[in-house]
Amino acid sequence: MKNWNKIAEANDLRIPETDIERVAPALDALEAAFRPLTKNIPDDVEPAVTFRVFQEDRA
Amino acid sequence: MTILEAAQALRQRTVSSAELTEAALRRTGEINPKLNAMITMLDQSARAQAQAADRELASGADRGPLHGIPVAVKDVFETRGVRTTAGSVIFMHNVPARDATVVEKLAAAGAVLVGKTGMHELAYGVTSNNPHFGAVRNPWDTDRIPGGSSGGSGAAVSADMVFMAMGTDTGGSIRIPAAFCGTVGLKPTTGRVSRYGVLPLDFSLDHMGPLTRSVRDAAVALAAIAGFDPRDETSSQEPVGSYLPAPDCSIRNLRIGLPQNFYLERLDPDVDMAVRRMAATAESLGARVIPVRVPDIEALNTVGRVILLAEASAVMEKYTGNRDQFGADVLSLLDQGRLLPATDYINAQRLRRVMQREYAQMWSKIDCLFTPTTPMAAPRIGEKTVSLGEFTDDVRLATTRFVRGINVLGLPAISMPCGADRRGLPLGLQIVGRPFDEALILQVAAALEDATGKSARPVPPI
Repeated sequence: MKNWNKIAEANDLRIPETDIERVAPALDALEAAFRPLTKNIPDDVEPAVTFRVFQEDRA
Repeated sequence: MTILEAAQALRQRTVSSAELTEAALRRTGEINPKLNAMITMLDQSARAQAQAADRELASGADRGPLHGIPVAVKDVFETRGVRTTAGSVIFMHNVPARDATVVEKLAAAGAVLVGKTGMHELAYGVTSNNPHFGAVRNPWDTDRIPGGSSGGSGAAVSADMVFMAMGTDTGGSIRIPAAFCGTVGLKPTTGRVSRYGVLPLDFSLDHMGPLTRSVRDAAVALAAIAGFDPRDETSSQEPVGSYLPAPDCSIRNLRIGLPQNFYLERLDPDVDMAVRRMAATAESLGARVIPVRVPDIEALNTVGRVILLAEASAVMEKYTGNRDQFGADVLSLLDQGRLLPATDYINAQRLRRVMQREYAQMWSKIDCLFTPTTPMAAPRIGEKTVSLGEFTDDVRLATTRFVRGINVLGLPAISMPCGADRRGLPLGLQIVGRPFDEALILQVAAALEDATGKSARPVPPI
């Protein structure tokens, strides 16, 4: 399990400890479901977030 | 009365837009205190728009089937000179200087904007139990949620306040209220309808679409709002199709996928029965119902949750310094998103591509997919969990289980009424199609609506 309190502190997120306790179980569950999925992503798969330079230039 | 019926009556001069608009305002005045479906009413400008529509129609200037029809938009669509709150105290006094593209297009189609509908705070939730504006209530049972986040749009259409209301859908927020309120709700393909001028919940999962009383009305609304918009970077140049199903549309020989895994698990038996009944109806109309195994939707939902948590927190980051401005549930989700590492977000967007390829293979075997929209009917306001057989699920996770993944894949999907549960609460059938194949899912839904008639399109008792 990650220490969400320390992560919040390190990132200066200013989330009260009691609120982190409230979200920790949900984050732990998400972490447990998500982490195994990342193991088998082929190296050449790019994220589905695009930056189209031509459109940026026009803007 | 549907949009198409009203449009015909307008052209036969048996009713005027002014009369339709007065009726909408009167009905809303009577019912809204019970449902809290509207945040802002626009009586004066609506009356002026209706009179203009009547003058135009009388002079032979016909803008099409929405001309003179009273509609509403969720209070997340920017309206020039009219406050746009997103159901949030942060935007309580936000008066935009521009109209969203969808609002512009509805005006160009001659629609009469009578109000702006209530919603879950910041469109970030499924209950529409809003801490700042009060709970929106379900016309079928005012102790129950209308779904969300476009809960006011679902309630307003279901309770006959307006003929059509626009919603937004990031993880099911059009289809869930459609199912819970007994209306039709259409989430188009990513890029089909412009997001410009809509306060974002998220960057890559938000979709705009209509909630209506009939399938053909949804087609009419989509035709008015679809199309490329250079002001929205994700807008698609794919040509806009012809969406309105013919009066005698056929689904003979179409291949309809009925999932054998995931979608018919962990749900109320009444929902299971209702979906299978619609599949049997489709078969009786000549369609081929093909059992299919769908890819890992649980994984798809997990990916969707990581993307939404991260993107929504990025959108709202500048406001999180003042934590008192948020309701507890929204704040909890924003905190979760802020705690996720950037690598998780990037990998979720990579997994999205992998899963898109897996899911795309299904389209060689089928033309569309039938699933329940939600695993159960509308929960009570304030309920945190729902019991589904031997399982107890969190309301938010249960409600979004069958719809969230479709946003990750960007596919078009429609929710249509498919009957009621043992308590008489409406249930929804979700029909998912190939990218930009809105015409096909509308055709299938219209054929089912024609075959099942009013029995599957119930009218609330309110």
